[in-house]
Amino acid sequence: MDSQAVKRTGRWKSRIASELVEILGAGAVISAEDELIAYESDGLTGYRVRPLFVVLPSSTEEVSRVVGLCNREKVPFVPRGAGTGLSGGALPSREGIVISLARMNRILDVDIPNRVVVAEPGVVNISVTDAVSAEGFYYAPDPSSQIVCTIGGNVAENSGGVHCLKYGVTTNHVLGVEMVLPDGEVVTLGGPAPESLGYDLLSLVVGSEGLLGIVTKVFLRIIKKPQMVKTLFASFERIEDAGASVSAIISSGVIPAGMEIMDNLSINAVEATVGAGYPRDAGAILLVELDGPEAEVNVQVPAVSGILRENGAIEIKLAADESERQLFWKGRKSAFAAMGKISPGYYVQDGVIPRSTLARVLGEIGELGRRYGLRVANVFHAGDGNLHPLVLYDPEVEGESEKAEELSGEILRVCVDVGGSITGEHGVGVDKKRFLPLMFSEQEIDTMNLVRCAFDEEGLCNPGKVFPTPRTCVEPGMQKRSSETAPAKEMGELF
Amino acid sequence: MVSGFHVPGSGDTGPDVPEFGFSPEVVLYPETVEEISRVLGFASRNGIRVFPFAGGTKLFLGNPVGAVGAALSLKRLDSVLFHEPSDMVSTVECGMEVSEFQNAVGRENQIFPVDPPRLNSGSTVGGLVSTNLCGPMSTRYGTCRELILGIRAVRADGEIINLGGKVVKNVAGYDIPKLMVGSLGTLCVLAEATFRLYPRQPFSRTIVLGFDDHISCSRAAGAILAADVVPTCFEILDEKLSSEFAAAPGAKRSLLLRFDSFEEAVLEQVRQVREITSGDFASFTEIGNEDSQELWDSAREFPFSSGAGFSSKLALPVTASIEVLSGIESNPALLGVTARCLSRPARGVALVSVSGDDQEAVRAARFLENLADSLGGRIMFSGVRRELREEVKAWGDFGDALFLMKNIKRRFDPGNILPGEKIFDAN
Ligand SMILES: Cc1cc2nc3c(=O)[nH]c(=O)nc-3n(C[C@H](O)[C@H](O)[C@H](O)COP(=O)(O)OP(=O)(O)OC[C@H]3O[C@@H](n4cnc5c(N)ncnc54)[C@H](O)[C@@H]3O)c2cc1C
Repeated sequence: MDSQAVKRTGRWKSRIASELVEILGAGAVISAEDELIAYESDGLTGYRVRPLFVVLPSSTEEVSRVVGLCNREKVPFVPRGAGTGLSGGALPSREGIVISLARMNRILDVDIPNRVVVAEPGVVNISVTDAVSAEGFYYAPDPSSQIVCTIGGNVAENSGGVHCLKYGVTTNHVLGVEMVLPDGEVVTLGGPAPESLGYDLLSLVVGSEGLLGIVTKVFLRIIKKPQMVKTLFASFERIEDAGASVSAIISSGVIPAGMEIMDNLSINAVEATVGAGYPRDAGAILLVELDGPEAEVNVQVPAVSGILRENGAIEIKLAADESERQLFWKGRKSAFAAMGKISPGYYVQDGVIPRSTLARVLGEIGELGRRYGLRVANVFHAGDGNLHPLVLYDPEVEGESEKAEELSGEILRVCVDVGGSITGEHGVGVDKKRFLPLMFSEQEIDTMNLVRCAFDEEGLCNPGKVFPTPRTCVEPGMQKRSSETAPAKEMGELF
Repeated sequence: MVSGFHVPGSGDTGPDVPEFGFSPEVVLYPETVEEISRVLGFASRNGIRVFPFAGGTKLFLGNPVGAVGAALSLKRLDSVLFHEPSDMVSTVECGMEVSEFQNAVGRENQIFPVDPPRLNSGSTVGGLVSTNLCGPMSTRYGTCRELILGIRAVRADGEIINLGGKVVKNVAGYDIPKLMVGSLGTLCVLAEATFRLYPRQPFSRTIVLGFDDHISCSRAAGAILAADVVPTCFEILDEKLSSEFAAAPGAKRSLLLRFDSFEEAVLEQVRQVREITSGDFASFTEIGNEDSQELWDSAREFPFSSGAGFSSKLALPVTASIEVLSGIESNPALLGVTARCLSRPARGVALVSVSGDDQEAVRAARFLENLADSLGGRIMFSGVRRELREEVKAWGDFGDALFLMKNIKRRFDPGNILPGEKIFDAN
């Protein structure tokens, strides 16, 4: 789509600008070049495109009218939340409009008895928990970016977090959405009820990376805060032992809320910046968080400690209080940022592997790093096999960023080879679309396009993302029939 | 007779064929996904409609199907293809019976925690996914929607597709495996499914609370939902079911709960429930694992076990699913029929069975439809007697999602080779 972007005339632009101002008011339309710069990229800053306009609607109706205008004028449009996405999902389209949901940031309803919060898409993730915390509830999906990223972005990426091993990802906590379809029509899928009937369209919208329409309202499931939370910290000489502990804990029947591993390079990066008190000489550390009814956690803590010991943990600590628990987590949560301190540039990948292949894959990643002459730090959601290898490079060194990108691709190949996925929570976006064929055949990607076409025949909504090559929507007709149709009975001879 | 197919009425005695309610010209028994692909490719080129089935235990769900050329049995695709215990993930062919699959993963001390009606009478994995039926354990584990990770399926045009994956976290592409859940075989023929499994818990205890009135029951149910306990199963039974399940005979209402965890944790949660509801219940019974089996079987099989009439499922907000029992019990619109009701409050689900003569039953159906609507929920009917089908359609209102659902169907199967009328009423 990008390559075919229509060049617009100045006259056309000023006409559209005034129409947008008419719909939204002058304060909600950005067209000055210097102000547009802030919207050129998302968290993946290597990709940049300047949009024609950025608009900041305040209501569903305004979104619908803007989308209607885009549809009439055949202008591509890109929804945007906080712009923290790591796959280029909110990258603007050339000659397109960015629709920022930042001003639709109200919590519309808090319904504790029904365990539902209704939020506009621009509400920041943590605000949902803040709104229900006093009542003893929380919103479970907790991406590390939760103090800035928005519910709309979370829905689009099907974001995860450190507690999704036990509680699931965004799709398990979204009960319904109101959305503006790519032709401007407004629909509601699901609602405050936990179950729904009919085709599960909601599951398609969650994780659709902004390609199926613009979400304008979200019904979120909130859950009770666990009665007890205990966090164990363990250090290991070898990362393989940390990995083996993870498998052993799960096999024992315990499902921790979260399990996170960091390797030696990450430990040192974190210690150099925030100082979480991790042992710098450890090969790896493992954080295990157990939560639930007190009586259950009290049984699990000694059981898990035993498993850690059996698997060679050098040191095992149980957080004595909330402040020590926060300290354990502080290092993990600041790991990405810390990389910036030890390396001028880094690529984050998001591959997923079956837990049972952890040791093998970490070995292969190490080998690849050596082969490319680049350092790779490993920080990952170990419980669900979601790796975040951070490939460190120096953008000033000629050719190194290309090498880092290539190495990242090789790592994804390893993940797919062992039966995993190219992305666990960051999405395909523009960044990983060329790797989609590692996982799926042409027919399979065509099947995904059937879904897209059911929502967006024109392909104006966030084009150029996810699909490795542009795909159009062919009007479905009856299948081509043989001129003389055979009777069903002949089917017996097919096999 | 050619191995792998059967022509009804040809004199051959084919393998067991269920009561379809229509007469296919041929019944096919493919053994591989490639064979399914050949069947659907041929079917779509020749405009022959194909009806996929396996256990035949849930053919009464959805609207009746019109003329169909071929019935396609998945029964011969019946193995576990992959089970990696340390990943707690398994891939199974869709013709396998759910109970057999559960036994297979049970050997590794793991569970596939879905307990649909007809579990032990032939219900298959494919049937389970396409109907999205579930049972009491959905309180803790959800339905197959929460467990499905990937599928291997055949599109109506015969293309074989693998979507999703074998890992518990995966956002590469749209979540089409979840779209298949509850689609009643109208989009693709499912050949294999990959699921997340859970560890079996070492100890389990069932409790039954009997109540003299609905107010104390609702209060207790609300208190349990708000407490620091995590039941695996949590059901509310009306007066009739309290007696019929021999749960709390004579009680106006009863609550049925099961906890699964370590022994200490289970007993402590049982103690807590007793404490927070002590002012409300009239009776409190603890039942060990073995002795509770029959009770849970009854709860799981309801409402399909209840004989004549029809049954309905209401998907409601949580609080409405508690209050709905009173709305049903006391309503004059239901005076002429016998209605039974079970609610699963954590899921916001109420299951209602109705028996009575035609006119009264139709009136009851209208009432339930309006009730679901007024409570902000949705409704579906099943097992509707032939005579009533004109008046009682399988599905209530789908709201403004309907045209998108139709778009999806038209994109996946423009020739309506896989009978879409199961969901989209032909009228
Ligand atoms: C330091 C850091 C840590 C992170 N940690 C995690 C983590 O632990 N887990 C995780 O999953 N992710 C993580 N992320 C990635 C990112 O925060 C998430 O993907 C997040 O959900 C993006 O939200 P956003 O509001 O920033 O969306 P944006 O980046 O603005 O947009 C993301 C996508 O959503 C679409 N979109 C936005 N709003 C809407 C809407 N209303 N309707 C339709 N589409 C919409 C956009 O078009 C785009 O495709 C991290 C990112 C950073 C920078």
